[in-house]
Amino acid sequence: MNTPLTTTKADIKVEGERVLTVKHWTERLFSFRIERPQSFRFRSGEFVMIGLQGCNGKPLLRAYSIASPSWDEALEFYSIKVPDGPLTSRLQLIQPEDRIIMRPKPTGTLVLDALLPGNRLYMFATGTGIAPFASLMRDPETYEKFEQVILVHTCRYKAELAYGKALVTNLRSDPLIGEIAADKLVHYTTVTQEDHPRKGRITERIQSGVLFADLNVPLMNPLTDRAMICGSMGLNSDLKQQLNAFGLTEGANNRPAEFVLEKAFVG
Amino acid sequence: MTYVVVEGCINCKHTDCVSVCPVDCFYEGENMLVIDPDECIDCGVCEPECPEDAILPDTEPGLEKWLEINADMAKVWPVIVDQIDPLPDAKKWSGISEKSDHLSRSPAKQAFCQ
Repeated sequence: MNTPLTTTKADIKVEGERVLTVKHWTERLFSFRIERPQSFRFRSGEFVMIGLQGCNGKPLLRAYSIASPSWDEALEFYSIKVPDGPLTSRLQLIQPEDRIIMRPKPTGTLVLDALLPGNRLYMFATGTGIAPFASLMRDPETYEKFEQVILVHTCRYKAELAYGKALVTNLRSDPLIGEIAADKLVHYTTVTQEDHPRKGRITERIQSGVLFADLNVPLMNPLTDRAMICGSMGLNSDLKQQLNAFGLTEGANNRPAEFVLEKAFVG
Repeated sequence: MTYVVVEGCINCKHTDCVSVCPVDCFYEGENMLVIDPDECIDCGVCEPECPEDAILPDTEPGLEKWLEINADMAKVWPVIVDQIDPLPDAKKWSGISEKSDHLSRSPAKQAFCQ
């Protein structure tokens, strides 16, 4: 472990990075920002291991996508709350000034480097799978590389879309990339468990073509379209088959191609 | 659940997987890598990085033998945390499917004495 040691007012050595802010979005979802260690570098879209000191004295760590862009001076994370989850049952109680342990080895496949150049970038997320895209949609490089960026977010309930909606709203008034994002970023939401104008799974809307009709874009094709997927195992595997059927192939850091996918980590 | 290194790695050992593993759970033998199933967090990032497609989720059928090799060797081989050059004959052995007879159970030779 390479976490810095810091001294508190009480002169007790505490491991970890300082929590700056915490925001609870629903009973099941919250986000928080922590201090970014000065030497810590990552690519927008990557994840790291973060957590708390466990009861047995060992750190209790889980993989979390970094939701903030690589230029941000703080690190943001977006988490589910699992009542009996070993980590999130405790993590949801954090307050500003608390400490988060972070293992400083960022990694992941949801990075722009793993995609071949293209015109249109789809970012498909379910639930907290929006986190890596929260990073990428705030990175100017995303808009330098693509003419259109389509964030597709599916949640069980409408209230769970709030984090993504706030991100998009705030992004449009961002002094750095607000203007370009307003032109290029499209936010498309669906809800599976309650009434909504776009009710249902995203894979059904792809199958029926409704997604493309709604967006007023042609069907996906490997010459122009690129995609990133971050969802449940079921979504990832279904969507992967659909993208394969459109002729897109899966890429990786050492083998860029037309789409990449990662599991949305749960606490 | 864990990911498992299978025989495609033997005599190639490209180590692209090592550079992306968030928990450093790869262990290095003389001519193959393995994953410690107790340490793997199942993130799946290494799977598409392997040029030999030699990393698979243990949910795939027929991997029992390799899962056992991964678990056993991870206990005795040294951990590897940085990418290194592939083995000199990696190209020659690339894509050859039947390589399990060539598996060495010896640990990787350390690059320098400590």
